[in-house]
Amino acid sequence: MELFALYGLNFIYGIATLGLIVLGLAVVFGLLGVMNMAHGEFVMLGAYSVLIVQGQGLPYFLSFPLAVLICGFVGYLVEWSMIRHLYTRPFDTLLATWGIAILIRKTVEVIFGRGYQSVNQTVTGTVDILGVDYPAYRLVVFVCAVTLLVGLFIWYRRSNTGARIKAMIANPELAQAMGINTARLARGTFVFGVCMAGLAGALIAPLVRVEPYMGLDYLLSSFFILVVGGLGTLEGLFIGSSVIGGVDVAVSAFFDKTSGYLAVLVISILFLWLRPEGLYARR
Amino acid sequence: MNRRKFLVSSLATATMGSTFAAALARKASAADPVRVGVLIPMSGPAGLFGPSCQNCANMAANEINAKGGIDGRRVELVFADVGGPPADATQAALKLWKGEKVDAFVGMHDSAVRAALTGLFKGQVPYIYTPVYEGGECSPGTFVLGETPQQQLAPVILWFNKERGASKWYLIGNDYNWPRDTNKAAKEYINRFGGSVVGEEYLPFTVDNFDSSLAKIKDSGANAVLITLVGGASVGFSRAYQSFGLADQAMRLGTLIEENTLLGIGAENSQNLYSSAGYFRNIDTPAAKEFAARYTKAFGADAAVLNALGESCYEGITFLDALATKAKSYDVKKMDRSSLGLTFSSPRGTSTMIDRHVSQDIFLAQADGVDFKVIETFKNVGPGNNCG
Amino acid sequence: MRAVSILAILGLLVVPFVGDSFMAYQLGLYLLFGIVGQGIALCWGRAGFLPLGQALFFGIGAYISGYALKTYGDSYVALIPFMLLAILIPGILAGIIGALVFSRSVGSGPYFSLITLAVSMVGFQLANSLEWLTGGFNGLTRIPGLPGIDTYETLYFVIVPALALSTLLVAYILRSPFGQLLAAISQNEERAQFFGFKTSSLKALAFGISAAIAGFAGALYAPHQGIVTPQAVGFLLSAELVIWTAVGGRSTLWGPVVGAVVIGFLASELRDIFQYWEIVVALVFIGVVLKFPDGIVGAIASVTTRLRRPVSTADGNRRKQTAPPREQVSETALVFEDIFVQVGPVKILDGLTFSLDEKNITCLIGPNGAGKTSVFNAMTGKLPIRAGNIQWGGTSVTGKQGFEMTRLGIGRKFQVPSVFNDLTISQNIDIAIWSNRLRFTDLFLTSPYSWTSGILKQVEDVFPFLKVSNKKAGDLSQGQRQMLEFAMTIMTEPALLLLDEPCAGLSTAETHEMIGAIEAFNAGGDMTTVIIEHDMQVVERLADKVLVMSQGRLLAEGSVADIKADPAVQAVYGGGTK
Repeated sequence: MELFALYGLNFIYGIATLGLIVLGLAVVFGLLGVMNMAHGEFVMLGAYSVLIVQGQGLPYFLSFPLAVLICGFVGYLVEWSMIRHLYTRPFDTLLATWGIAILIRKTVEVIFGRGYQSVNQTVTGTVDILGVDYPAYRLVVFVCAVTLLVGLFIWYRRSNTGARIKAMIANPELAQAMGINTARLARGTFVFGVCMAGLAGALIAPLVRVEPYMGLDYLLSSFFILVVGGLGTLEGLFIGSSVIGGVDVAVSAFFDKTSGYLAVLVISILFLWLRPEGLYARR
Repeated sequence: MNRRKFLVSSLATATMGSTFAAALARKASAADPVRVGVLIPMSGPAGLFGPSCQNCANMAANEINAKGGIDGRRVELVFADVGGPPADATQAALKLWKGEKVDAFVGMHDSAVRAALTGLFKGQVPYIYTPVYEGGECSPGTFVLGETPQQQLAPVILWFNKERGASKWYLIGNDYNWPRDTNKAAKEYINRFGGSVVGEEYLPFTVDNFDSSLAKIKDSGANAVLITLVGGASVGFSRAYQSFGLADQAMRLGTLIEENTLLGIGAENSQNLYSSAGYFRNIDTPAAKEFAARYTKAFGADAAVLNALGESCYEGITFLDALATKAKSYDVKKMDRSSLGLTFSSPRGTSTMIDRHVSQDIFLAQADGVDFKVIETFKNVGPGNNCG
Repeated sequence: MRAVSILAILGLLVVPFVGDSFMAYQLGLYLLFGIVGQGIALCWGRAGFLPLGQALFFGIGAYISGYALKTYGDSYVALIPFMLLAILIPGILAGIIGALVFSRSVGSGPYFSLITLAVSMVGFQLANSLEWLTGGFNGLTRIPGLPGIDTYETLYFVIVPALALSTLLVAYILRSPFGQLLAAISQNEERAQFFGFKTSSLKALAFGISAAIAGFAGALYAPHQGIVTPQAVGFLLSAELVIWTAVGGRSTLWGPVVGAVVIGFLASELRDIFQYWEIVVALVFIGVVLKFPDGIVGAIASVTTRLRRPVSTADGNRRKQTAPPREQVSETALVFEDIFVQVGPVKILDGLTFSLDEKNITCLIGPNGAGKTSVFNAMTGKLPIRAGNIQWGGTSVTGKQGFEMTRLGIGRKFQVPSVFNDLTISQNIDIAIWSNRLRFTDLFLTSPYSWTSGILKQVEDVFPFLKVSNKKAGDLSQGQRQMLEFAMTIMTEPALLLLDEPCAGLSTAETHEMIGAIEAFNAGGDMTTVIIEHDMQVVERLADKVLVMSQGRLLAEGSVADIKADPAVQAVYGGGTK
């Protein structure tokens, strides 16, 4: 029973963190159609901002604004210098952002070195939930992730900017004719997306290994989640995270981790092949 | 190998030798430096060991040169990055061998690269392989300094059984040869000392979520976990492990958790964590202390942190010194013969070569924050049977 | 082009004598990667889809060859069947993957690329896990060289001819009708389908060939390296192969080779002296993607021939041979029975029923949103039909795809002029002539370039601009492109011709020309024509019969006069006609 509760908690937590990490790519790829291969590197930049803050002896939560600042700056630069020329060239975007990923990785390596970084935990210990000792910091991450996702969901549905983004996606020319500055809106959306990735990185940094190559882990699973869930909606993001996370947990529990990983790959291939619009597509 | 195959391969060796061995056949004079190719990862997943390794190798060369070189010849190191796939590594090695005309190689890299290199060298150039590995390398001209699973585990598992009551082991590693071979050895020792294996699991390299493994460990009732995850996976696993409070249930033992990995794991997550290896930065012997002090003096306090893999590069160069001095030659056959029973000293202590492997002291260390504290020393542990 | 290739191969052959054998050995590896790149270029530069997991096929070839060399390393008799397998198995595997994936959807979006990437990741994991088969992480080791060939001295002289062979093969494919069809597909896959080509199979074939080429290079990689590890099938090598191809030039024959060699040597030189050499490569790579989409070789385009603008086998008088006859379709009866089509919540066709069975001109009219174009789309497999039945010549054709409809004698012209912009007029005409004629073997022969047919002469008489055959279709005016597409559709000699607003965007003079052409080609009375048209003047001039649609249903049918008198039609059009 206790084991059951543990698996259940892990599953829910897994979905929330996956959703958190994918969010940035969901915005950039799902809304703008930019296959950002440097997504993981923005998560990595977020994690390193925790390191900078802790290195200065400042409180952990200051790493959130710093992550947004760093990713916003780098994202703006990238959009301005490259992405804006490539919105209609998907393959080229994919390749150019792959180059950007290498650049970011290597730059971080020059500054911080190649080794693992030690990020301190501010919230340690475990909390008793349903008879399970559950890591306390995970609850913090869970609450932050859910707040962020729900907040964004409501904002996107209700706000003016959300409506403008929807208009831009549906018909860029018409949107422009209606006085929407699509170039600026697209840039804003891109920068917002990579900032979300950075924020996710700052949140998960105390739980994972922090080093220049960490981003690769998050890139492909993010793509697969979006493909399974469907692009352009938060519902899809949630469904995708559940399916990918669920398959991994279930197969890993019954067989082993390698089978779990292979199962995720196979599911992703099946979706890409048979149902590329995902389970919950934007209408 | 049948007769015909043998003929073909020796023919190939002969033709290849005619060009490549030109460098070796050259008459060595006292004025010519000894050129040593040092093959270490500077990029890729193992790239984080590059800097400490490079420092250690340079330090060894400087010290040898300060005392007058090897048999009167200066040592000159030529580095090459072998952090990429084996195809890149063989090209890099070939460049040093053929282009830079190096007399010997010292390598600190993964086993796939080693397999590629022994296939390339075919025993025509001395090759010293320094890191911890899975055992069983028997190619001529290949001298192995690293710890084998037998060395790291046989005495240590017995010790845990006696001193810490570790009886129920859970084995977790990455899904490849080294962890599987290590665990094969571990199971033998665990059974021998009356313990049991309550779980065995291999994770793909890409894994970043360890929850299901942790649940299994919790459920298995294990009181000891043997970790053969490498690098990043080891860090991620250990962080998650501690956050679930599992450190109180079961102690952790790693055979490749060195100072860098421990730094990544972090001080809050290293409770009840042990590591077994032939070297730690904090070994409490005069030789090791002096070595660490010289390292800090040469490269400053901010230099790449000392660890077993980095130190093994120092040892590789000094071992070459000892071997070449004894053999008075860089000819592989002569070196092979001289290596038998060769005794040499290093920051690890005094070691002896048998079967081109070494019997050496093994240290068991417990993590204390982000540092290791050696709690037990096992003297002169043999490498097990590697060539039979 | 041919001269450049021969010079390049000769140049490569003297490298070991000018440089040293080590340099040649090193170069050999990059040339093998270059061969894989040529396959990628065939897919990406020519057929327009990007394979992101090409290392999988390279690695499979390498593993098979490595296994064979280890087991039967002393006899070519035993080796050669395995070497063939090392080429065939990757080729067939890719062909199957391609056929499965491409048949699901038209187009070559990034999803195909992601699938190939994921498949290569599966391969990498299996290569690591299946230790009994692959040797696991440590790989398949101690692979001997090819019998009698020294790996370091003479293998290079096997690799260079292999490169020559691959170059020859790819060059030949690019010049063949198959290559021209691939170019057409990458520019406008849907149009190619409506000429009766099963584009998914052609793309799968191209992918299979590229994988076979990769397997071929892999088969030589095993003896060259003496070891094959999972990295040989992995994602990182796949990505690198794409980078080399892009930097060298994805739409050129030699670009991938140049890319692999230049970056390979650059990396090998920089790796040990400059730790951050990857930054240099990344910057070069980004620069190429942004500024020189055709890569290094593409930038020096004057020296080489581009793949994208295929060389047609000369022009002018090449059409000397009467094309083989087509299967004649003489159906007339088209029947729509109670057709329902719905997309999301919107009912597009709502129980549409009508039938046509005379060889004359019918105009389909109706207000915007009535579902006129959807009638064509439902008939040619572009829209899923929820209920009802479409019959053509007495047999049901519900749910058939575009290429199948073309093979049943139905020709379609789209509303927006839809031609192959980067092909010349003459090459566009080739594809129309090949429609419903080209058999599998003809794909790789040069004879189809000499085909001509009686209708070509008629078409050229009606549209004289078609005789300027070297002009690219994309350089024509909008009106001329409409006419080119019309002419190409006519050249398929359909029994049922569907025209979607053929006069849209035409000047008054051009409209008259087009109307004249439609009349002329219908004069023989051997074709049923359905025209969607807004312009009532055109309708009055052409229509033998008019169908009026409104809100997905048939509102009225009859002669022009009947329709004009119909009060229901007047109500829909608000009492006025345009």
